[in-house]
Amino acid sequence: MKYFWIQSVLLLGVLTLAVMFIRRWDTSNTRAWKRLTFALFAVTNMYAVLRPADVSWVANRLGVGRGTDLVLYGLTLAVGFLTLNTLLRFRSFDRKLTELARSVAISEGIRVNAQRGGLDSAAVREPVGEETESA
Amino acid sequence: MSRYDDVWLVIPAYNEGPVIADVVERARTTFPNIVVVDDGSTDDSARTVLATGAHLVRHPVNLGQGAALQTGLAYALAQPGTQYLATFDADGQHQTHDVERMVALLREGTADAVLGSRFIGCSDHVPWAKRVVLRTAAAVSPTARRLKLTDAHNGLRVLNREAASRLRITMNGMAHASEIVGFLARSGLRVTELPVEILYTAYSRAKGQSLMNGFNIVFDLSFRERGRR
Repeated sequence: MKYFWIQSVLLLGVLTLAVMFIRRWDTSNTRAWKRLTFALFAVTNMYAVLRPADVSWVANRLGVGRGTDLVLYGLTLAVGFLTLNTLLRFRSFDRKLTELARSVAISEGIRVNAQRGGLDSAAVREPVGEETESA
Repeated sequence: MSRYDDVWLVIPAYNEGPVIADVVERARTTFPNIVVVDDGSTDDSARTVLATGAHLVRHPVNLGQGAALQTGLAYALAQPGTQYLATFDADGQHQTHDVERMVALLREGTADAVLGSRFIGCSDHVPWAKRVVLRTAAAVSPTARRLKLTDAHNGLRVLNREAASRLRITMNGMAHASEIVGFLARSGLRVTELPVEILYTAYSRAKGQSLMNGFNIVFDLSFRERGRR
């Protein structure tokens, strides 16, 4: 029971945020929470630097031995979310890049293939010999 | 005029310069409509395709085979009179007479999508390591089981217009094969498998995806975003 509080805090934190993130990580709401959390994280860090004894006190209340351990846990969580966030952000970039490249490719393809002439879809409408292709 | 005027072959190609023109010309003796999607190749793939009778669409940057397939399907769907769309590999491992049989099946109107399978009937020609992994993939994939598929990762498929226009491939990499199967399972479309023969040439063996890529596929699929569509 000694570690009950810290364990539930950490596990719950990881689980809820992971689920929330993957499901709807880029709604404006989630983005606001991300910023708030980051601000909180920064403030907490400054406080921890100035009054390390308080961190130890909190750590004790949560059932973690030392303040350093609590900071370490916090850091682990932070790195985890940073990784996840970066992964999802890259994925979203990827999707946008794909759509952009696809529309460029298709409109360019339509133009180029129309210029080449003698291609079959044109041939379907007005039969031409297959040897009239030109690059 | 050909009896396959309403069929389009979509061939994704990435650095297939040595074989692509040959594969295209051979396929064109049966299928007049072919679109090659050059996925940002760094070799002369695009130039050799321009010398053939196939349409060429070029990705400005390399995006992956899934993305190339989706681009090719979109291009083919925009052409007049398209009814059936086949995905066909650029390395020469697929055979046009298999596509003919698959199209014939779709024309009967009893199915919306036909997937090629290496494992109906005799599969001795499939390298054994590949056989084990692919059979396992088909066996553990819930969607492949739902459709009772024997081969979840075959690149040879024929879709009718409805199936192709509802399909949206978002997995740019190799996970698109599982994505397509998953889509078909959820879509309520009628799906069947047909045995096809794969030619494992020295070239296609060297180009084929390594089995380690299976881990990438599992990772990609497990991390896809939910609740978006």
